[in-house]
Amino acid sequence: MVDKQIRIVVRIEIATLCDKNGRLDRKKMDRLAMVLSSLHNSGKEILVVSSGAIALGSEKLMLETQPESLIEMQATAAIGQAELIRFYQNFFEEYNQIVAQVLLTSDITEYKDRENNARNTFNTLLEMNIIPIINENDPVSTTDIELDDNYPLALKVARIAQADIMIIKLDTNGKYLIIPKGTGKIIVAEDEHRLFEQIDEFVKVPDAKDSGEDFPVSLADISL
Amino acid sequence: MTSSRKSLKYKKRIIVKIGTSSLSYQNGRLNFQRIEKFAYILSTLRRKGIQVTLVSSGAIGVGAGRLGMSEKPDDLAKKQALAAIGQAELIKIYQKFFSDHNQIVAQVLLTKDVINNPVRHRNARSTLERLLEMEIIPIINENDTISTYEIEFGDNDTLSAIVAKLIQADLLIMLSDIDGLYPADPRLTDHVEIIHTVRKITPELEKLANGAGTSFSTGGMKTKLAAAKICNQENIDVVITNGSVPENIFGIMEGKEIGTHFLSNKINLIKNY
Repeated sequence: MVDKQIRIVVRIEIATLCDKNGRLDRKKMDRLAMVLSSLHNSGKEILVVSSGAIALGSEKLMLETQPESLIEMQATAAIGQAELIRFYQNFFEEYNQIVAQVLLTSDITEYKDRENNARNTFNTLLEMNIIPIINENDPVSTTDIELDDNYPLALKVARIAQADIMIIKLDTNGKYLIIPKGTGKIIVAEDEHRLFEQIDEFVKVPDAKDSGEDFPVSLADISL
Repeated sequence: MTSSRKSLKYKKRIIVKIGTSSLSYQNGRLNFQRIEKFAYILSTLRRKGIQVTLVSSGAIGVGAGRLGMSEKPDDLAKKQALAAIGQAELIKIYQKFFSDHNQIVAQVLLTKDVINNPVRHRNARSTLERLLEMEIIPIINENDTISTYEIEFGDNDTLSAIVAKLIQADLLIMLSDIDGLYPADPRLTDHVEIIHTVRKITPELEKLANGAGTSFSTGGMKTKLAAAKICNQENIDVVITNGSVPENIFGIMEGKEIGTHFLSNKINLIKNY
């Protein structure tokens, strides 16, 4: 059986890449870049949805606490997104992997042409062997910035890009949640080794994909 | 020093629009030396108390360079993909050069609905206002990956005028690959002198910039004139100058007669008294 091209959306919360003091942990970032570059090299298409613009902006401005008002958050995000994408570039560069930045507003699915443009951009980037790093375009966002949960954005990206699998980084170590589309199954991978194994298992199962069911609307419904 | 030029010494909120031609060599590769100069000049102005916003093109070119492509692609999806790669690179390069002067920058990517969607308009404006208050230099570009490139804003000349209007800047400096506006193409005609001052953008002038029958429009004068018109109506002065001499920005802010100055309507009104 010829493996079909598997498309994976990886959801990263910046907290899973930070040390105890809430600062970006370079070792963890490096580890993530290695794992995802390797997964990509194994023939999978990878899209990353990552939060962190406000956290890194606060760090850059040496703020004691993260800003609370919407305007402050948006301004901080404009600074921090530039930092965030720089980190992704630098760490993936070590593994010879080119990344791209795609910023979406949460109302993207209300505009068909924008959604199509985003889909075309994703398809083209993936064809070019590039990993898109996606975040919300906070500075112009019309909705409240989702500080704690970027899963809704990851879900939107998974739908726009017609992904087969979502991967959720669960903790600061190598624990991941694997959600294959349309199987109703959710798999916990305790470490990176298991992550690779489980994804390969999924790929081998015939008709594992496209059974019509979508990804879970919220992670809150999932009991681990 | 003419009185209209002198007024530029007192501008407190400026937009500088840098196009791809000002950022790169003829072969399309980035001119780091020049970008370093821009970072130094804009950081210096910021330190003097002038609020500076940068509108920068170049994402697609940088993306093409990153992938080792010698030519920019024609098709839209490719362009958008290259913009996604290149914008990440471009902002990294700006961060690097500005950080040499301890200047923090921010990235703001806009789509056209910043004009007609009131909530987005307000959000973009308040974000930019806040960044300027914080003495940060916002670096703005079109969000190419989701907007239909070259369809929404047309080009970054228009975007720079929209941004100038959005934050009520008092001066827009547009960098071009020629020194300013000429009555005829200086590359084709001998002894033509630059037009230093434009008090009103007349239909004749627009016709000139459209470059009927000449390659005059290659400096992007048509879109620059359209941008100047938008600004002038909003009482924003505009200067078009040559981007290959970054120091021109200092000269303009000192009131020197560099490039072409398009006077805002407000100055014209005062003049008429």
